[in-house]
Amino acid sequence: MKSYLDLALLGIVLALVPALAGESPYYMRIATVALVMMSWTVAFNLVFAHTKQLFLCLGALAGTAAYVSVVLTRQWQLAPWITVPIGVAAAAGLGALFSYVSVLRGLGVIFIGIVTLAFSLIFHNLVLGLRELTNGETGLVSHGLGLAFLERPVAAYYVFFALLAAALAVYCVLMRSRSGMAFRALSDDELTASLSGIDVTRYKVLAAAVGSAILGAGGALYGFYNGIVSPSVFSFVGVDIPVLIALVLGGMRTRLGPLLGAAAFAVIEELVRPFGQLNVLVYGVLLIVVFLAFREGMVPALARVFAAIGASRGTRARDAASRPAREA
Amino acid sequence: MTAILLDGIVQGLQLSLLAVGITLIYGLGGVLNLAHGQFAVVGGVAAAILVSAGVHPLAAAAGGIACAGLLGWLVDRTLLVPAYRYHGEDRLLLGLILTLGLSFVIDGALNYKFPEFSLTFRLPLAMVEVGGIPMRTASLAASAIAIAVFAGLFAFLRFTLLGKTIRSIIENEAGAELCGIDPGRTRTLIVILAAMMAGIAGVTQGLFSSLGTEMGPEFTTLGLLVAVVGGVRSVNGTLAAGVLLGIVNAFASHYVGAYVAYILLLSAAMATILVRPAGLLARFT
Repeated sequence: MKSYLDLALLGIVLALVPALAGESPYYMRIATVALVMMSWTVAFNLVFAHTKQLFLCLGALAGTAAYVSVVLTRQWQLAPWITVPIGVAAAAGLGALFSYVSVLRGLGVIFIGIVTLAFSLIFHNLVLGLRELTNGETGLVSHGLGLAFLERPVAAYYVFFALLAAALAVYCVLMRSRSGMAFRALSDDELTASLSGIDVTRYKVLAAAVGSAILGAGGALYGFYNGIVSPSVFSFVGVDIPVLIALVLGGMRTRLGPLLGAAAFAVIEELVRPFGQLNVLVYGVLLIVVFLAFREGMVPALARVFAAIGASRGTRARDAASRPAREA
Repeated sequence: MTAILLDGIVQGLQLSLLAVGITLIYGLGGVLNLAHGQFAVVGGVAAAILVSAGVHPLAAAAGGIACAGLLGWLVDRTLLVPAYRYHGEDRLLLGLILTLGLSFVIDGALNYKFPEFSLTFRLPLAMVEVGGIPMRTASLAASAIAIAVFAGLFAFLRFTLLGKTIRSIIENEAGAELCGIDPGRTRTLIVILAAMMAGIAGVTQGLFSSLGTEMGPEFTTLGLLVAVVGGVRSVNGTLAAGVLLGIVNAFASHYVGAYVAYILLLSAAMATILVRPAGLLARFT
């Protein structure tokens, strides 16, 4: 029986954040954005780390869901309760389509990257080109469209907290079921996995669809929370790169890694905010450093530290030492 | 009509010049260079700085190209060394991420250091008639340079021993190594060469229009699209794809607008990968 104590502890800490920062809208916003980033990183963990599909269209998928729901809400006066699921379904459908086509054509990780990067750019140009629907670079105002609770900082925080909890629950259920075993097998060796009777196509498409749905749900709700949806909100530099850094920083193929990585990234982002223009440079340096020197991630490294402490005390040594191997 | 066609060819040759470097580095080094457009921008910016320091434009252009080459050498000898330790898919993935990071570093540094920068060589712009169409001499010069570079590259690859070793490594790296070829040294040479060609594209861009520090991502994307459509291992295919996409882009921009034109190019690249991953025009090699 796997223990969920770590997740529960982290959940309590996250749930208490508004009690500490509830007075300051500024800190509440940082915390809320960090929650969105955490759920996106959980999704990317599923798609990239577990099933080896390099989706470089995270911002575009989240943006698709956001634009679909905001445009539908504005154009046809539909309730967000209807349009948000439509947006999420659109993102999930697109993600599943990319995954299915790339498995069908036997694309390597690089070519999935190029195809999805091309989609990112198509999305960006479509948004700029369809000016009557999307209002181009300026973006659409999404406040006052029926999701009033997202305009109160603390309420919004708990909405995204619930979203993250849901994403993690889906992730844990998937990883404990047959599909979790299939993910582990196919991330080791796809050919061997398919030879031992695992339907590789099915599980890759499943991971991509679930991941894209989480990305879309985060994107659509974030669109309403943010008050404005514009191309820059869902840009490649604004979503894909931070998520990539957060995932590798936290630890790929771990349950806690995406949460710790995204939290660490939020802190780093606050630290470089005063330097303004230079943040792109900092992202670049982080990307390089993280992939060269820190590929293993925080969670496995921390697990080893705890294992070492446990071993020196002589208690639970065996259990702790076997942990990193199992988690990784 | 003819004016658009000529304009497309001029643009297309520039695209080919950018893309051929991506093709060569991918074919030979197994790294998809996502910082290639930034190499071009660095070359152009260096040339502009030299011009403003009072250097003769020709010498400044040479200096800019040399600067791009130097950057290529530096990247190959430092940043990409960890990637070269891996093989196949792992090397591709790490190389992709590292060059993506590099592109952000260069973009960030240039935008910080030289905001609002733009490079134009203020040469006397004489107009000449080509087939009844008035053309700027600068565009013609840029195309002539591109054609000369390609002719030189083809001659180099076909007739020199070094060119033959390069082609042999593209065919089969292990086989070439067994014949006593050192892939590492040839790779460094190719990265320098590719970066210098990107530098030429950056400088000539300043010759017939303007070059800004923010243009790196756009150059990278366009070069990547051309390389993908041409077949990421085929030099001839890249040249043909560049001219073809340049013409398509010119006509599409004229008739349906720039956004749709760009979407068309992107869709062409996507379709190529899905239908014929070796490249649409790879047959012509």
